[in-house]
Formats: sequence, C-alpha cells, structure tokens
Amino acid sequence: MRYVIIGAGVAGIEAAKTIRKNDSAGEILLVSADTHVHSRCMLHKYIAGERDEQGLDFSERDFFEKYAVEWKKGVRVEKVCPDAKEIALEGGEKISYDKLLLAGGADSFIPPVGELRSASNVCGLRNLSDAQMIVKEAETAENVLVIGSGLVGLDAAYGLLERGKKITIVEMADQILPVQLDAHGAAAYQELFEKAGVRFVLGRKASEAVCEADGKIHKVILDNGDELACDLLIVAAGVRPALACLEGSGIECDRGVTVDASMKTSKEDIYAAGDITGLSGIWPNATDQGHVAGANMSGAASQYTDTYAVKNTINFFGLVTLCVGKIREEEGDQVQIKEDRTQYKRVILRDGKVEGVLLQGDISNAGIWQYLIKNKIQVDGIHKDIFDISYADFYQVKENGEYQWA
Amino acid sequence: MKRIMIDHEKCDGCKSCSIACMQAHRETEGTVYDLDLTDPQNESRNYILKDADGHYKPLFCRHCDEPKCAEACMSGALSKDPESGHVFYDETRCGSCFMCVMNCPYGVLKPDTVSRTKVIKCDFCVNAGGEPSCVAACPKQAIYVEEV
Repeated sequence: MRYVIIGAGVAGIEAAKTIRKNDSAGEILLVSADTHVHSRCMLHKYIAGERDEQGLDFSERDFFEKYAVEWKKGVRVEKVCPDAKEIALEGGEKISYDKLLLAGGADSFIPPVGELRSASNVCGLRNLSDAQMIVKEAETAENVLVIGSGLVGLDAAYGLLERGKKITIVEMADQILPVQLDAHGAAAYQELFEKAGVRFVLGRKASEAVCEADGKIHKVILDNGDELACDLLIVAAGVRPALACLEGSGIECDRGVTVDASMKTSKEDIYAAGDITGLSGIWPNATDQGHVAGANMSGAASQYTDTYAVKNTINFFGLVTLCVGKIREEEGDQVQIKEDRTQYKRVILRDGKVEGVLLQGDISNAGIWQYLIKNKIQVDGIHKDIFDISYADFYQVKENGEYQWA
Repeated sequence: MKRIMIDHEKCDGCKSCSIACMQAHRETEGTVYDLDLTDPQNESRNYILKDADGHYKPLFCRHCDEPKCAEACMSGALSKDPESGHVFYDETRCGSCFMCVMNCPYGVLKPDTVSRTKVIKCDFCVNAGGEPSCVAACPKQAIYVEEV
C-alpha cells in the first residue's frame, strides 16, 4: 500500500502519523513545496529573529525517521490524475498512489489592485518562504506597508517591529482585527501597536499601486487620494485554498475541496484535510481533519464532527484575548460586560444561551466557553454571575477519571 | 497510565492541593512554610471550584486520552507521552498563542499571570518522581492516583 500526502502542514503531518499507527508496513510518501516543516502561526518569530527555521518546527523530533515517512521537499505538485491514480510533480516526475491526501493548504490572496500581483516587493505571510523574503527585503527596506489588520497583518508588523522598521497598516474596516474583536477590544491592541511605533490608516483601501523601473512598488495610493510610501508591501487580505493542481482532475470543489465527514473527496481513494478544504483556518480543526483522513485512509473508521471554527486567541505585547462565536450583537441579543483596569470581558446571550464571548486581559480557565457556545448549552438556570460560570456547574467524572460533558 | 482520580464528595475545599502544587513548582528554594502566597509567580495548576450550590468541585488536568490542548498546539510544545500517557509541556517550544487554553473543554489551562508567555499546566510532578504533590497533601483522600 502506498500512501501519498501532499503538504507538510499539520493536517499532512497528523495524517502521516495516524496512518503509520494503523499500518506499520505501508509506504508513506509526503510531498511538499515547503522545505521545512513549520508552524505558520510562528512566522512572526522568524521575522523578528527570535527563532530560526528549526525553531518553527511543530512536529515531533525526528518525525520522518520515527514514523518511517519518506519526504520529498521543495517540490510542487503540478497535477492530480485520479484516473491514472498518480500525481505529476513540477519537472514531470509522476508518482503513483493507492491512497492520496490533499493537504496542500491555502495561498495568500493578493487582491487585483494595480500591480500588486506582479511587483517584486509584494508578498503575503503564509509560508516560511514569505517570511524569508520579508527578512531579506527588510535588510534594505525602510518603510513597510501592511495591507490588512487581521491576525496575519498584525503578526507581520509585530515581527518587523523587532527590526526597527517604519510600519503602516491600512485597513478597510474602521477598526483593526474586525473579524475577531469588537471596537473596544480592538482599540486596546491598536494603542499597544501605536505605542510601539506602528501607524494605522483605518477605513481606507489601496486603489492604485504602480511598479517603477526596478519592478517594485514604491507608493500606494489610497481611495481618498492619499499616498503612502513603501519599500516593502505585505498583503494580509486572507487566503484561498490552493486548488491550482486540481484543475482538470474532476475532483469536486466549492470554496475548497469538497469532502464528506470522513474527509473523502468526490473521487475514490482521494482525501483532503486542512485549509485546502476551506472548512476552517483554525489549527486544532486542521489537526483533527488530518487525523480523521489518515484514519480512514488506513482502514480505521473516523469522522470529523467537531467542526466549530469561529474561535481564536490573540497575544500581542502580553495582552491576551480569547474570542469565540458571535462578536457583534443583533437585535434581541443580551450583552453583558465586565471591565476593570486589567480586563475586558463581554458575552452575547440569546434565549439563555451563549452565542459569543470575548475575554481580554485574563483568559484563565476559559476553555469551557467554546464548549458552551458550540453546543448551545442553556446557562440561564445557573444562578451565578455569567463570568463566574465554570466547569463546576457541569461537573461529571467518568469511571476512568476523565471529565465529560453530559 | 496513572491518573489523579477525584472523589469530589470528599473534598472540603481546604486547598491543600493548590498550596502543594504552588510549592512543588516554585522557582525559589524553601519549604511550604515560607512559600510566598502573594507572589503571582507561584501559581497552582489545580483549582477547587464551587458550583452554584456551593459544592466543591476539584479541577485537575486529566491528561486526557485524546488531549484537546495538544491538538490545538501549533508549536509542538504540548504532546502526549506515549510511555506514561501524560500530556507534557515543553516551555522552550511554546509559541505563547494560548490556543490550548481555548481548546481545553474543561477550562483547566491558563496563561501564566506574570509574563503571559507560558501555560500553567499539570506535569504530574514528573521532576519529583511522578508522585503528585497535590495527592500527598490531600487530607481527605478526595484525590488519589490510580492506574487506568
């Protein structure tokens, strides 16, 4: 049995590990464009010079030897051919498979504004190669322009602050972190970044960007006509599942590769997991998907059921935030807020159930919120301050000593 | 694997377990008698919670069979040790993202109070020979170690 896995992110790595646990003899081949296994969530630490390539590795020590996985790195997959049961690599090499996992992730989305897509000083922040380019460009670049103030845009800025760059962040919304936070929670981070020297331009978008003779964009014109000078441009405007190699394969895709609960695609013996499915951009979900796909590929039955993905944590300058579920209240919602010098807590309730929570400053023991929200647990019968609700109010110990939810 | 079992009805909320945990993980030398309870660096990895009716409910890391904290860990800092079955935390690998805090369904984990760079998590007192200090300190035998 030959298993081929495309992608060295957590979905691919987790799948390889799971397959090996179920099948000690099968051949496992992992193919990736990445030359290092690395955590995308830690790229800012590489940009800051805090960690090297090895320091970004999230896998177990000696992973490939330990699980007997062959790794072809630094190679792109050009084509997937389900009928021939093979994949074609750039350069023409063909590799046949018995079971295939598509875990090639997503690509940074560079909006078609001016010449953003062709300029040589524009990049996203998705892969180690992006971070490497940023570090190289930062050697000479003075002014850095970041488009987008989501987690990736702020990560880029956070890393570059360590290199003493002048950073400007342009954001379409009228607050930073518009997907994760309400205006009040966002203002706390904005203040911290501004104190560190970052300048924000909110409620504006880039409308023109022209390459000069050196192939680089040196200024971006905003929709109000303002000009921003830049030597390096980082575009953090979201990602799109990396579907290019699936063209003509007949594998059903919607936003990403379409999968069923066993992570199987529309084609026999082909599975998909992680960001390429477009189901969730959240790490634990990708881990879970990789695990489920790997299990099903190697003969064990498993289903991806814990699909909830509206969740995140943020940590910049030691200010931590946890946000799960709905951020903006709608008519008929109840909002409860608790705030003091060290924390800001906000919960959105509807019909006695928690629909969203934002905890900033103190996220101690906050793991239960995700459970309460995704499982729509009734909390109005608990006679406590909402922020004092804890697992004590749902306490159950199984015979083997593990806790459980009813 | 060995797990700290909980008989919550025996717990009378004395928090000897929490003091023992703080003592076991303090960075300075000394005995429990000079443990500085006001120093935020001395944090307990276990908690005695109260439900709405005032009953004590001990909250201790379960070192779950399928640990959701490790599943969420994007740095490789949290992993389940195949030999002991315990979920260990390697501070040097931690990226301080605290997705583990979000993903523990029972709310056992928290960021450290002082630096917000590491997670406060039970290590089964592995440096003290794997005999949990909290268990030794419980006067009610509300917590005890069992092979599961």
